[in-house]
Amino acid sequence: MRTNVITSEEREKAFAPTKKPDVIERQKLDVRYHVEDYDVDNRPRRFLEAFAAILKHTNYRLALEHFIRVSTKCSRCAVQCPIYQATGDEHDIPCYRSELLLSVYRRHFTVGGSIKGRLTGSGHLTDEKIEEMAESFWNCTACRRCTLECPAGIDHALITHLGRFILSEIGISPRALVVSTREQLEGKTGNTSAIPLPALVDTLEFLEEDIKEEKGVDIKFPLDKENCEFIFIPAVSDFLMEAETLMGIAAVFKATGGSWTISTENYDAINYGLFYSDRILERVIRKLYAESERLNATNILIGECGHASRSAKYYVPVHCGGEKAKPVLNIMEYTYRMLKEGKLKLNPNVITETVTYHDPCNIARQGWIIEQPRYIIKAFCKNFVEMTPRGTENICCGGGGGTVSIDEIRPYRTLVGGKAKGDQIRATGAKYLIAPCANCKKQLRELVEDQKIDCEVVGLHDLIYKAIILDDGQTENQKTNRKG
Amino acid sequence: MQELLDFARGPLFRLSFIIMILGLIRIFILDVYNAIKAYKRAGDKRLAWGDAIIKTLRWIFPIRSAFTRRPIYSVVSILFHIGLILVPIFLLAHIQLWKSGIGISWWSLPNNWAVMLTLMTIAGALALFLGRIGNKGARMLSRKQDYLWPLLLILPFISGYFCANTVLSPQAYQFTMLIHVLSGELILSLLPFTKIAHCVLVPLSQFIIALAWKFPAHVDDEICASLNKKGAPV
Repeated sequence: MRTNVITSEEREKAFAPTKKPDVIERQKLDVRYHVEDYDVDNRPRRFLEAFAAILKHTNYRLALEHFIRVSTKCSRCAVQCPIYQATGDEHDIPCYRSELLLSVYRRHFTVGGSIKGRLTGSGHLTDEKIEEMAESFWNCTACRRCTLECPAGIDHALITHLGRFILSEIGISPRALVVSTREQLEGKTGNTSAIPLPALVDTLEFLEEDIKEEKGVDIKFPLDKENCEFIFIPAVSDFLMEAETLMGIAAVFKATGGSWTISTENYDAINYGLFYSDRILERVIRKLYAESERLNATNILIGECGHASRSAKYYVPVHCGGEKAKPVLNIMEYTYRMLKEGKLKLNPNVITETVTYHDPCNIARQGWIIEQPRYIIKAFCKNFVEMTPRGTENICCGGGGGTVSIDEIRPYRTLVGGKAKGDQIRATGAKYLIAPCANCKKQLRELVEDQKIDCEVVGLHDLIYKAIILDDGQTENQKTNRKG
Repeated sequence: MQELLDFARGPLFRLSFIIMILGLIRIFILDVYNAIKAYKRAGDKRLAWGDAIIKTLRWIFPIRSAFTRRPIYSVVSILFHIGLILVPIFLLAHIQLWKSGIGISWWSLPNNWAVMLTLMTIAGALALFLGRIGNKGARMLSRKQDYLWPLLLILPFISGYFCANTVLSPQAYQFTMLIHVLSGELILSLLPFTKIAHCVLVPLSQFIIALAWKFPAHVDDEICASLNKKGAPV
């Protein structure tokens, strides 16, 4: 991956202050994302207390002990980091970022480090260092490309993940994420977008009418059906923003006769805990799982959303019974299976424009979902072009790790975080950019707008909706409808 | 001089070798112990073993990544490591020492190979050293040991090269050999306590990463209790 460093003009825009000086003074925190007021006294002490508690009750010590011994500081990770490639600032090299936290660990939680620190009277955690971590850990989009490159096998994303978790315990987390999660876990609506149930029901009825009008077929969004094969939970924002994705998914279920339901008590798979707190991650997972138990669904099916899929797939087993926990699938896995089994028919003459596919980091980096969507796309899109690199080595949209939800840093996301992605999209010349992830979609739409790239960002099921053949009579129905 | 050399080759070598072996065993066992502890605590005990093994092999034999990312750096680094590992273990002169000392021996490198590998390692270490100085990012990250290691590592290689391949006066030979033995022993005894520990720990990296992402099942309750945050709002 090679991308040019941003211009000084772009730098000014991307790093422009977003907060008033009095807020910075009050919160003792000069970072670009907004933070709710928190206790600023004794930050280093409280940071270390939180760090100690986390080390005691988690498995991070294993990794930290290993990383402080093997790190060779070779800076190879720098070539993989889209942020560093765009800023050219050495503070953005993943290994530098990791060292911020590793040095705290070494100084305060290892015998050798604390003896050395006490003898020399240096290296202890300061307010300045906390501020640097608060800035640095949220400059990263947690895309995990650097972990592919490190010859010593250091997982810098794990350290960023832990750093954000510790910071959150002393009250330093982006307000956008905290407020949404509070509504999801403690609010009346129980979801991050604060969509009340009646509004959801209205939306679904509206979508059903739309499908009837466009496809001439009655398709229902089943609510609270018990004993289904799948409980379907998308990122809740899809109900507001991604009508076509949802209609596509409903159409796939109609065509394949799948047994599915949407729950009225939990219709949000967004899990910002993955981005800033393992405690929140666990709570959201338990809530999600409880709903699948209430409706007695066999499998948990997550919509087109990278982080929601990853958090459910990997943390439902962690928090809800290990291998006995219900299986978690991403909707693309279901659609892929149905297509392979011949239960789904797609018209190859509908999408004739050039199509490209963006791999969401959270489902592609570990090699989980890469070929399935491509199999589907190639089955009905005539002009499919790949981005380079792709798959496990894909480049992040620039809004990963929860940063996409932080609206005040949009210029940073689209000019710095998404710079390499922008170059990649432009090179394909595609009309449709498929991004099967709620976060990627939002980021990429802002990216193509800010970087003035001419292409439409869509979900995979948006295009499936256009091309799906629902039954033999359907094409005729469609024709009649259109004539009517 | 001869007495000093005998001391360095005898007791001092045994000491540094024991420090190295015990030190490496200690950190390896610590890692494995931590991993077992983490595994017992993990809420989900299914590990992607196959994936970790493939990744580990790819890390140990980085043939694919060498030519796709930073090719010059990678090739130099790989060649350097090959020489660094093979020469001390498979040099005929070293094996003869083992044989006369404790009576064991093994396959040895042909002499011309050993010479070539020695020169390659010296050149590689210098290139890595210069690369570190010349790269802004690497300079920013580097600690003292990162600059010192390549220089320290080439000392026994250079001195060994002169002892084996040039005609030296007896005094010069003894002096060069002393440098060779002492620098080698310094390396052996520092090995477990510095970044060179990666020589035994890197094969564990992928398993450790996989395990570290497997959280314990009840993180929320336990951390809340520790930090007096029970019932606190989000």
